[in-house]
Amino acid sequence: MVTTAWVASQFPELSAITEYPHGGQKWVFGATHHHDGAVVIKLIKPDTNADRVQREILAVTQVRSPRIPTIFEQGSLKAVAGVGDVVWIREQRVDGENVRQVLARGPLGPAEVLRLGQHVLEALTDVAQARIVHRDVKPENIMRATDGTYWLLDFGIARHLELTSLTATAALSGPGTLGYAPPEQFRNQKRELDERADLFALAVTLVESLTGTHPYREGARDRPEVLRRIEQAPLPVPVIAWDATGKLFDLLTAMGQRRKDCRPRGAAEALTWIKEIPMPAAA
Amino acid sequence: MELQLQFGFGMMDHSRSMIDAWNGGTVVLSPRDLSAVQLERLAGDVTSLPNGRVLLDPQFYLPHADHERLTSHDYWPASYDTNDFWSGAELRQLIAKLSDLNRKLACEAFILPSLFAERVDEDWLAQQKVIIDEAQDSCDRPLFATVALGADAVKSDESIDEVLAAAETWSVAGVYLVCEHPKGEYLLTDPTWLSNVLDLVAGFRLKGKSVIVGYCNHQMLALACVGANAIASGTWMNVRSFPPAKFRAQYEEEIKQRAIWYYCPQALSEYKVPFLDIAKKQGVLAQLRAPEELGSTYADTLFSGVQPTAVNWAEQSAFRHYLQCLRAQATGARLDSFDATADAHERALDSAEALLELLHRVGVRGQLRDFANAIDVNRAALNVIRSSRGPMLRRNWAAI
Repeated sequence: MVTTAWVASQFPELSAITEYPHGGQKWVFGATHHHDGAVVIKLIKPDTNADRVQREILAVTQVRSPRIPTIFEQGSLKAVAGVGDVVWIREQRVDGENVRQVLARGPLGPAEVLRLGQHVLEALTDVAQARIVHRDVKPENIMRATDGTYWLLDFGIARHLELTSLTATAALSGPGTLGYAPPEQFRNQKRELDERADLFALAVTLVESLTGTHPYREGARDRPEVLRRIEQAPLPVPVIAWDATGKLFDLLTAMGQRRKDCRPRGAAEALTWIKEIPMPAAA
Repeated sequence: MELQLQFGFGMMDHSRSMIDAWNGGTVVLSPRDLSAVQLERLAGDVTSLPNGRVLLDPQFYLPHADHERLTSHDYWPASYDTNDFWSGAELRQLIAKLSDLNRKLACEAFILPSLFAERVDEDWLAQQKVIIDEAQDSCDRPLFATVALGADAVKSDESIDEVLAAAETWSVAGVYLVCEHPKGEYLLTDPTWLSNVLDLVAGFRLKGKSVIVGYCNHQMLALACVGANAIASGTWMNVRSFPPAKFRAQYEEEIKQRAIWYYCPQALSEYKVPFLDIAKKQGVLAQLRAPEELGSTYADTLFSGVQPTAVNWAEQSAFRHYLQCLRAQATGARLDSFDATADAHERALDSAEALLELLHRVGVRGQLRDFANAIDVNRAALNVIRSSRGPMLRRNWAAI
């Protein structure tokens, strides 16, 4: 049974262990490591796709980014009582809340939106340099730390462009989150997939952060309607009163193009672009 | 945006004369219309003029073409087997011979051969790559990949995306783009076709490739809005739009149905001379006169006060007037920013529309060369580009 006490017994170098709310595929605990400081320890449940887990670990270890939590150590535990074999990952802990939680209190202000965009683009620039596509950029996977910095999390479905895909070529749809994945991703057009897919998802996230509502999901009857909206019309970018130069509007319009060729050529270009956007005086 | 001369039937003297008058310019040579000896002579004539430049369109669009002069050139393969050609010595030989010819003619860049694609598929994309890779070794001048697309391929968004995705791996300095008009139209009535051509050009330019668009008429002045480096145009309609059939022996030369057309640049329309008589009768002839700043004096006689049909305005003057005006329009079409360029094109459309309304009211019409039905086509295409490519073009304008 995976409990705080059991974790303490398996990882004696950890102290102050607390259990976090966790999803279906892993148990997550916060702790303090005697050398690395604040960490989380993730224990992957045995029925989870082992290849995907290894790809996630590989992704995070290959990407060196100050905007992505570092994996310090990983390993496995055999025949955990009542559970089975468990893969574990110990990584840097970012204290704060995810952007979904922040948005529950309302849209973000100008400075926050620009900081969110810039920090995630910094992360995505590093991700792209490692020839990896995150494929799941969304508010749930972006953490706002207590110091106001934003971090990109969860490489669970990241695609390594130099490695064989783990998604069946014949699959009608690729992995990703409805409303954030661009057409080439949800249509599983693997040959088309590159870093520009993450730019689309970030554009949706930023528009949602500006307005407080999801630009494609809001008012949609069902999943097919969301997909239709994405495929048939450009990302509806609102008029941004404080964006006097129109540069943020342009950047979001470009990043949110349904055709990847119309988007910025990569995260690095989008990062340069967002850095040029003047902070509104009142922000 | 530069206007280049797309060589066609009867353009030998026009080419020399216009390049001389313009103090420089580029002629895109046509092996279909010039023998090997003529190619060499004309290239020599043009390149000996100040700033005179030539390019060679190898016209390998239809490898089974049976046009006698075209297939008589040394570089044209004696036989063409679809299966063997692309993987064997024959392609290497074609590239080598064309490279030699480009060198002999002192071409500014090497326009690579390519097949005309009625649809963009894996085979065509693979052939493009093979050609480009093969040409790397004989690369003593900038390489331009030819992209020759059928009307249906141009209208397909998926095809456009596939070409642009493939182009990311093409190691070339530029693209020579030729696109078949739908239904053989001279002026286009399909906004999707035009917006896709604009999109292709924008896509190439934003990837850092130079773009020359061949076989253009004045409707393609819109290409300045997406940063095209040059459009190429000429005298007869078959060098102002791209008819792939002209590379076949049985092609009906339009030259048999000669008519003299006056180009009114501010109306973006052309008129047969008898309609200028009507304009004179109705008191609107002066409004058809090309603005002085476009620099054409070739049509002055039509506005000398005499009835236009009475002055026997010559075909040669009509062609030169068209090319002079189009060159001035093309040169002035690109402005300092994407928005300024697109706004200026829209203003030109608005002015043309107002003038055409006036002319139509008094019975002056350009028939098949009247731009009235094309105005909204250009407007629609430009609107699509503003939405899809506007931000990237705006941002990168100075660099493209």
